[in-house]
Amino acid sequence: MLKKSMWYTILTIASVGFIVLAIGFYQAIIVTTAVNPQPTSKAAVPQTTPNSTKLPSKNANSFKVLLLGDSIAKGTGDENSKGFAGYLPDYFKNSTAKDILVENAGIDGLESIGLLEQLQSQKLDKTLADSDFILISIGGNDVRRILSLNDLAKEDQFKVRLDSYLANIKQTMKSLRKANPNSIVIFLGLYNPYEKANSVEDIRLLNTWNYDTQQLVEQDGKGIFIPTSDLLKFNLGRYISKDGLHPNSAGYQAISNRISKSVETIIAGS
Amino acid sequence: MFKLIENEVIKMISKKRLMFVFAILIVLITIFAYGQNQSLARTKAQLSQRMGVTATDDWRKLADQQIIDIKNRLDSPYMDEKSKSSSRVRMEQLQYNLDNNINPLEQSAAKFTTIFMQQAIFLFLPLLIIMLSSDMVSGESSSGTIKLLLVRNVPRWRILLSKYLALLILEVLVVFVSFVLAAIVSGFFFGFGGWFAPVATGFKVLAGQLDSTGVRNVPQWQYSLMVYSLAFFVAFVVGSISFMISVLVKSTASSIGIIMSTLVAGNFISFFLADWKITRYLFMVNLRLTDYLSGSFQPIEGMNMLFSVTVLLGWAIASMIISFVYFTKQDILV
Repeated sequence: MLKKSMWYTILTIASVGFIVLAIGFYQAIIVTTAVNPQPTSKAAVPQTTPNSTKLPSKNANSFKVLLLGDSIAKGTGDENSKGFAGYLPDYFKNSTAKDILVENAGIDGLESIGLLEQLQSQKLDKTLADSDFILISIGGNDVRRILSLNDLAKEDQFKVRLDSYLANIKQTMKSLRKANPNSIVIFLGLYNPYEKANSVEDIRLLNTWNYDTQQLVEQDGKGIFIPTSDLLKFNLGRYISKDGLHPNSAGYQAISNRISKSVETIIAGS
Repeated sequence: MFKLIENEVIKMISKKRLMFVFAILIVLITIFAYGQNQSLARTKAQLSQRMGVTATDDWRKLADQQIIDIKNRLDSPYMDEKSKSSSRVRMEQLQYNLDNNINPLEQSAAKFTTIFMQQAIFLFLPLLIIMLSSDMVSGESSSGTIKLLLVRNVPRWRILLSKYLALLILEVLVVFVSFVLAAIVSGFFFGFGGWFAPVATGFKVLAGQLDSTGVRNVPQWQYSLMVYSLAFFVAFVVGSISFMISVLVKSTASSIGIIMSTLVAGNFISFFLADWKITRYLFMVNLRLTDYLSGSFQPIEGMNMLFSVTVLLGWAIASMIISFVYFTKQDILV
């Protein structure tokens, strides 16, 4: 009798379970194979080039700053969500009376190859041509992926990454100069957001990266490399945001301050 | 027929093997849940050490900031259309956490139950199924009881079919029980909630790249239903194959050995998956079906959910045909 009732319990569980599982299986198949459920055309609105009424800066009473590159250029991590777009004008104002217009084209997670593609797509050409200052922050995402490797693999991967990065930057500068030969290019160096990654080896890699970048950027007569690692080294707690990677509001302000000091005379003279 | 199936199921239960499987499940789930609990505590300790004591309670601020960032990102005209839907999905999840006061660092029974099966689907669950299926026929041969079975006035295919259906019932039972056990045991560790939290799914592979345009959120209960259904499908396929081996091979030990080594070899072989095309038609490398749901798979051109399911189904059907043909034709000499 016990066996009999056990058998019926099992049979009931099995048949109900089978039906439920069959439904779930069907859903799983649908979810992974179905065509895109969201209308893609919905979000195609903001494609218009921003501010199409802009004047060529030389005879206007304003000058324009373009932010290019990864999340740091974009301002990710700032709790006031201002970033460079918010703070640079504040600091530039000390040196000039002109209006400062900022165009933010930073994209989270962008790598050097992505920046190159962005420039080569020529969508930005008009914006580029109008800009007096171009701030570029790139490379952090290129490096980030190799950080977790062991030392040997890191060394190898680093070489590969650095080479492809430098090649991308070279091309990027070329496309940029084709669109705008006169603007000042401000290139931000990498910093180390991790307190832990301060072995001799890690420091050497970071310095090599920054040094090679600086060499490349300053070959261009109107390019300037702004280091950030020294600024942040002992101030991680103060300048790094809660996500442990991006600068926070104070961090963005500190870097903006440094940038404005470096180009003060140019701003004042223009 | 019904009587025959009942007979087979009762036989399996009285052999205590099913109880053994459940016992393994309980032990493993408890260990796993305890381990998760430990690593959770460690992560929290590390975080609070690095970012100050309040960091773990400050998740709301962080989530707020992330939402603002994502909003900005979505508004950016330079943003790639392709990555927009995953940003949107991420934002929904963050918003849900905020609305329902769920710290994303915390584990929940629902999350654990799902993760457990995602980890178990390619090796652990198949092994449990093998424990049940591999001696269904060969066990009768080695103990000699197959003679008694075959002299009854029932066609051979019916005997085999009843064994097969009994196996199917047990597979459902194993999947069901592992779900219930995982949900209950982890409930004691992490609390019983979390079944309505949104989970992202809907990834596809396009031209060898992970395509996330179709990504959307489904509630956790639905997600874990899908995971367990896929697990059942895997159980069915592995069960069919090891059932075939137990028909072909007379001794239980070699039957278990063959199917187990095949499964383990699958883990090595999936290493060559990208370069060596024929390997993707093996059943072992297609067992990780849940990875297609979570989007955590290595994108390989031509491999997607439909492909894997078709391959697995092909294997299951082929092994069924072979088992039935062989069993009805073979000479029984015991």
